[in-house]
Amino acid sequence: MKRTGIAVRLAALILACSLVILSLIVGYNYVVSRNIIISQDEHTGAGLAQATSARISKVLFAVQKVADSIAYTLEDAEINEKLIDELGRRVLAGNPEIFGTAVAFEPYAFDPAKLYFSPYHYRSQNRIASTNLGSKDYRYFHMDWYQLAKELDKAVWTEPYFDEGGGRALMCTYSVPFYRNVDGKRIFSGVVTADIDLSWLQKMITDIEVYETGYVFLLSRYGTFISSPNPDLVMNETIFTLAEEKNVPELRDVGRSMLAGESGYREMEDLPGIGEAFIYYMPLPAEKWSLAIVFPKDEMLAGVTQLSHTVAIIGVVGFLALAALIISISGSITQPLRKLTVVANRIASGDLDQKVPEIRTRDEVGDLASSFKTMKISLKDYIANLTAATAARERIESELRIAREIQMGILPKLFPAFPDRTEFDVYASIEPAKEVGGDLYDFFFVDDRHFCFLVGDVSGKGVPAAFFMAVTKTLLKVVAERGLDPGQVLSKVNADLAAENESCMFVTLFLAIVDIETGETRYANAGHNPPVLLRRGQQPEWVPPLNEPVAGVMEGMEYSTKTMSMSPGDTLFIYTDGVTEAMDADKNMYSDPRLLDVLATLDCVTAEDLVATVDASIKAFTGGAEQSDDITMLAMQFHGPDGENKE
Amino acid sequence: MDIANEQRGDWLLMRVGGRLDAVTAPDFDKDFQAVLDAENSHVVVDLAGLEYISSAGLRSILAAAKKIRTGGGKIVFSGLDGMVEEVFRVSGFAAMFTLYATADEAVAS
Repeated sequence: MKRTGIAVRLAALILACSLVILSLIVGYNYVVSRNIIISQDEHTGAGLAQATSARISKVLFAVQKVADSIAYTLEDAEINEKLIDELGRRVLAGNPEIFGTAVAFEPYAFDPAKLYFSPYHYRSQNRIASTNLGSKDYRYFHMDWYQLAKELDKAVWTEPYFDEGGGRALMCTYSVPFYRNVDGKRIFSGVVTADIDLSWLQKMITDIEVYETGYVFLLSRYGTFISSPNPDLVMNETIFTLAEEKNVPELRDVGRSMLAGESGYREMEDLPGIGEAFIYYMPLPAEKWSLAIVFPKDEMLAGVTQLSHTVAIIGVVGFLALAALIISISGSITQPLRKLTVVANRIASGDLDQKVPEIRTRDEVGDLASSFKTMKISLKDYIANLTAATAARERIESELRIAREIQMGILPKLFPAFPDRTEFDVYASIEPAKEVGGDLYDFFFVDDRHFCFLVGDVSGKGVPAAFFMAVTKTLLKVVAERGLDPGQVLSKVNADLAAENESCMFVTLFLAIVDIETGETRYANAGHNPPVLLRRGQQPEWVPPLNEPVAGVMEGMEYSTKTMSMSPGDTLFIYTDGVTEAMDADKNMYSDPRLLDVLATLDCVTAEDLVATVDASIKAFTGGAEQSDDITMLAMQFHGPDGENKE
Repeated sequence: MDIANEQRGDWLLMRVGGRLDAVTAPDFDKDFQAVLDAENSHVVVDLAGLEYISSAGLRSILAAAKKIRTGGGKIVFSGLDGMVEEVFRVSGFAAMFTLYATADEAVAS
């Protein structure tokens, strides 16, 4: 898995948080502004619709008044054709918005001889023309404008229609029923109409600017488009047919609501030609028309969208600036760390001369760098010290090794030691433990007849023991060569060793002097393990211990000398506690009985073979467990004077 | 090696168990020095629990004895048997020190 650095994680975390905050701000800003705009546009729509409807109503109301007053005038019985003609001309002259006016009488109501009587004054090429409506092709009293007013018994605006006569203008007719008093009764006598050309209305409506593509449309009482920016719709389509054709059900709902004379504000998903939009509509109650204003959503919210975009852009720019800043800051924080890491790796791989980069920032990284520098210096010092110490230790070890070699070198190692002597045979071996120990053995002639041999074991280990051993060995030889008894030798040597022996070192010693002519052997024992005497053809036996103290502890000790006689073929086996206390892996000791058992198996072997056999037995017993003490053995086999080589 | 100290009247009884050899001898030296530092002048070293003693162990005992005697104190040993007794006997230590069969006897003296 790839690691992500602190800088990346820090930057990612902060930027993610910033992004969330920014999104919330932009989102909130958009929603709130949008709601403000929508509510403002609702007011604007209402205002615009009201103003527009007022302007329309004002014109239509004026027309209504004219028609109403004609109708009122006609209730007067004294009315004649001339009067009607004048009335018509006067109305047209005084009311430029009125295109034409008719006074349509019920059949035979004006003149019992006339089925049709409907003088119609209208504008034609800048003058006022008149005609009489009604023929078998045009039975005006079957027309809507006449029927509605008559049946409903009130003034009505007809559905708009195209004037077939002049210029296909969109016309609308206001019809007012008029009555005459006949025998005290109000009898319906006909209908007065005022035709108006709706071009002004259409123009007025199409001139209303609603954003870029917004528009106003006007529906008749049946939902027919009276005015729309799309001229194809006018008088050809109703809002319902349009909804059906364009498959916009919500438009049908709006249409129903409009025709029911309601006011409303509706959000549209998909208005034909516009897309998302808001529609505000309100009725023109007098004419039973309904006016609607369409606000294209994208334009209406263009400001909000623009604002949101601007905010978002500012946000994004800010975000990028923040990102750059954070990345550079976190980079600048972690760059020294990275440098340190590189250096640390190099230092870790042993290059202590790597220069720690200078980081002067007074912060944790600076602290780390200076700690690092200190660490490097300490480490260097430590390693230098360690190297020096190791070198010193190696030197000491090598000196110890050399000392050990010297120590071992002072022990006689050449066998056969006296090849020209046949009276006896001597063999000794020392197997030094890993740590410097203090075992010793020696043999030498004190004079022509007396052969001295000894084994000793200095207490403890290490250099002191080695020194003590060397001193002991030297003293022993010097003192023994004076021809003293073994006991006296030990007493003398003890006195010398015990003097000023602050370290409480001591040495156990077994020293024997054999007369090679007679086999008489005198010996003394300073706290040493009892040796084994192997008499030829007999079981081995311990040389009884004298229980006299170890040497080097107390001055003024006197050691006794014992005597035993050795016959040809007898062997005296002297050893140190390294033999009997040799241990296997489970810390079991080789022990005295085992030694005796091994020796019991031997008969007529040379001194060398005897030592080798015991050695092999010890090795078999310990099974390779680490040796903790020197293993020293010495065998002296007496052959007797018969074996003497007289030359 | 384990050492347990116990005050028995005028005597401080030191029970030494386990093995007293080159490895454990320095511990014995330290513990004995602590006993001396605590102003104990009469010490019984009970070796009943000791299984093995090497020449390094003997040297520690010798050094301990020398120290306490130099200060005019007294040291006795008890509970020697088996290998330990053998070593004490052969090395002549038995002749150098006062030995008792049990710690109780040593304290009673």
